[in-house]
Amino acid sequence: MRTTELMVKQEISSTPLDRRQFLITSVLTGGALFLKCAVRPEQALASAETAGAKVIPLNAWLKIGTDDSVTIIVSQAEMGQGIRTTLPAVLAEELGADWSRVRLEDSPTDPAYRNPRINWQFTGNSESTPSFFELMRQMGASAREMLIAAAAKKWNVDPATCRTESGKVVHRTSRRTARFGDLVEAAAKVNPPAKPALKSEKEWTLLGKPLGRVENLSKIDGSATFGLDFSLPTLAHAAVKQCPVFGGDVASFDRSSIVGFPGIVDVVKIPNGIAVVAETYWQAKSALDALNVTFNEGPATSVSTDSLRDDYRRAMEGNEWLLVHVEGNPDALHHEYPNVPLAKDTIPTTGANAAKETYPTVFSQEYESQFLAHATMEPMNCTARVSGDTVEIWAPTQGQEITRLTLAGVFQLPKENIQVSRTFLGGGFGRRLVAFDFALQSALISKAVRRPVKVIWSREEDMQHDIYRPATLHRITAGINEYGKLRAVSHRLVSPSILQFVYAPAVTDVYDPSCLEGLLETHYEIPNIRVDFKLLHIPVPTSVLRTTGYGPNIFAWESFIDELASKKGIDGYHYRRDLLANSPRSRAVLDLVAQKSNWDTPAPTGHYRGIAYADAFGTHIAHVVELSVSKDRQVKIHKVVCAADPGTVLDPDITTNSLEGGIAWGLSCAFQSEITFDRGRAVQSNYHDYSILRMPEMPPVEIHLMSSGARPLGGVGEVGPVTLLPAIANAIFAATETRFRSLPLSKHGFSLA
Amino acid sequence: METIRLVVNGQPRELNIDPATPLLWVLREQLGLTGTKFGCGMALCGACTVHVDGNAVRSCVTPVKAVAGKRITTIEGLSSDRSHPVQKAWLQVQVPQCGYCQPGQMMSAAALLAVNAKPSDADIDDAMAGNLCRCGTYARIRKAIHVAAELARSAK
Repeated sequence: MRTTELMVKQEISSTPLDRRQFLITSVLTGGALFLKCAVRPEQALASAETAGAKVIPLNAWLKIGTDDSVTIIVSQAEMGQGIRTTLPAVLAEELGADWSRVRLEDSPTDPAYRNPRINWQFTGNSESTPSFFELMRQMGASAREMLIAAAAKKWNVDPATCRTESGKVVHRTSRRTARFGDLVEAAAKVNPPAKPALKSEKEWTLLGKPLGRVENLSKIDGSATFGLDFSLPTLAHAAVKQCPVFGGDVASFDRSSIVGFPGIVDVVKIPNGIAVVAETYWQAKSALDALNVTFNEGPATSVSTDSLRDDYRRAMEGNEWLLVHVEGNPDALHHEYPNVPLAKDTIPTTGANAAKETYPTVFSQEYESQFLAHATMEPMNCTARVSGDTVEIWAPTQGQEITRLTLAGVFQLPKENIQVSRTFLGGGFGRRLVAFDFALQSALISKAVRRPVKVIWSREEDMQHDIYRPATLHRITAGINEYGKLRAVSHRLVSPSILQFVYAPAVTDVYDPSCLEGLLETHYEIPNIRVDFKLLHIPVPTSVLRTTGYGPNIFAWESFIDELASKKGIDGYHYRRDLLANSPRSRAVLDLVAQKSNWDTPAPTGHYRGIAYADAFGTHIAHVVELSVSKDRQVKIHKVVCAADPGTVLDPDITTNSLEGGIAWGLSCAFQSEITFDRGRAVQSNYHDYSILRMPEMPPVEIHLMSSGARPLGGVGEVGPVTLLPAIANAIFAATETRFRSLPLSKHGFSLA
Repeated sequence: METIRLVVNGQPRELNIDPATPLLWVLREQLGLTGTKFGCGMALCGACTVHVDGNAVRSCVTPVKAVAGKRITTIEGLSSDRSHPVQKAWLQVQVPQCGYCQPGQMMSAAALLAVNAKPSDADIDDAMAGNLCRCGTYARIRKAIHVAAELARSAK
């Protein structure tokens, strides 16, 4: 992976934001936004609705046809989050397009389509809307002004007296109109404006309303093409078996064990495993199951859930913490271990020499989150065609650019020779941000058999060769003064890396920013806060999973806050509300969830409520869970109420769907799902032993959205489960008067009724 | 290899195939009907659900020989124009997120509605418990089944 890290670093620095080949850029003050987008001629590929019509690009994101067709480029992978609808709608809104005439085209792998904030082409971390919103507005507005300039010139009127609507430029006073298709050739000659005027939210006709997902027709008739459904002429199929032990490899295999199996093309050794290639997948899979393979399991066979737990414990009790965050006095709570500040300014000058405080009450607790698998419904798969010095990939991938770079490195080809195309993703959740396994396998196998190849993993391969959400161990300590006021908090976190495989440049041997998400942005008024971190190196591969660091951190933190509330004898809502006295946005969300869940009205007999709040992925969110617990720890969830403020809700239905789904995801994590390890391998292999929520367990849910107008916008793809987990634990405490501090709750005998 | 005859989405089909091949892979690889999805291979997730003589069946564990001579319906055959009440309801309620499990969900829902014109929530729980959705669209699936039942009743 070190090679990839270097490649990523070089790639980012060699293609700085303002030198992308597609774009003649001009950077606005306050943000790296591209206004002028010149386009390579070959981008002007025909995508006209009518034969003979010319299709003309107005910038890298938009083409308009002389037949009035409007084609918007989609750079982000669609995996259920609705981005394929929302981002094009942002551009169309500013343009004044007729939404029913808008068509979409997938972007190639190219720096022009990188996330403008991170300068990297990927889909994840709930980044798409926050990062692309302003850029899409600029692109739409810029094209609108170019079309208006063309119309105004034609009519010899002031451009300020024109506007666009439904694919036309309209002259306000004379009511003359001109269709985009009639204006586009002249508009393309207009200099893109440096600062196009943006519509006010009041003028929006597309945003803020439920538009319906653009691809839903194909998702109700079976025609949507996922990676698994993609095909090419002469396509061969590969089934793979990887060494079940992490870090192991194939020792030997016996081709003669599958002699006579129909359709076999070849048996190909791949990194850490073996592939059987056949005409059809079922032929490949049948032969693979019969193939005699022995593995060299390597040194990781002693790794188990118990051995890992010992590693976490040693790390928690050990010295040399990385001090990553300080507010106020870093030594407010007594720390006996040496620490290394992350940066020179980690300790604020105001805090360094602050007077020591002593607290009559010092309260400390530990929390744990478990290892998780992504378990996307569509197992890992990828199609590759390697011929001569080109590699073509068609993949359900979140990581277009890392796929290109990984393959360029392995095949020793210029990156331009690697083209990566996306299909629909049957779930992503972070699993599909990497390229070193399914994508690399497909290319290596295609090269070996000199045919296009689709690799399909079995569910067992998918689950036992996931890159897991790392388990975490937290110790939180609070100092409370003689008046019962929370004065100081220390949070110590032990976690393996999240970003190591997906964005290596951000990770060092001791630091990974994603692990710390949620610990650095508390809005509670606490004068002294310190966060210490220990990056744990383990043989189990770990990576990004929906909620990233926020999930485990907010579970721990919001459980702890609830403990402080109950120690003080105040309910969880009012305790949090007091701590948020100077955070109106936080308070508004908390108040809304309390109001909608009737928090201040006693729950029905036998029902108990729990609450939690967080600012995660830029969205403020709160959950209230109402449940009852039977004597044998069967938990009936009567209702889940969620309130969320992402700044401005761009599509209320897509947002609601995502937050509803987040509740299902969170219930799986809270009650059911866990990956354990034994003899260096994952124990769970399919949905019988890795449980996720099923229909009968889905409770009634209510989502309430707010638009505070805050910028930058928050993401909504991952935030849904974040506060649900602590809200559940807090409700179970209310019901049982026992605090459960480790997940999943099945460990403690709880199950969903 | 054996010759096996099926009727798939109303069309008679004759295949020369290993009779142990799961129906799922026959549909996907021999017949090009890729709307039916592979999820688990063990009848645990329901993504591969199709109708065999009107009943919801997990095609990933059904050898093609076991359905010789039977009528198979896949998502592509639910209607020719997305007019099945389940399809209409799924669109109206905007059920899908990633959409991968939805063909299986819709086939289970259609099989339920074929025998139960007005399913209760408990009926829906029973009929849909074998269909997993990792995006968690269960609340919408439930709602859409009620809507589909309503649409089917009002069409009569």
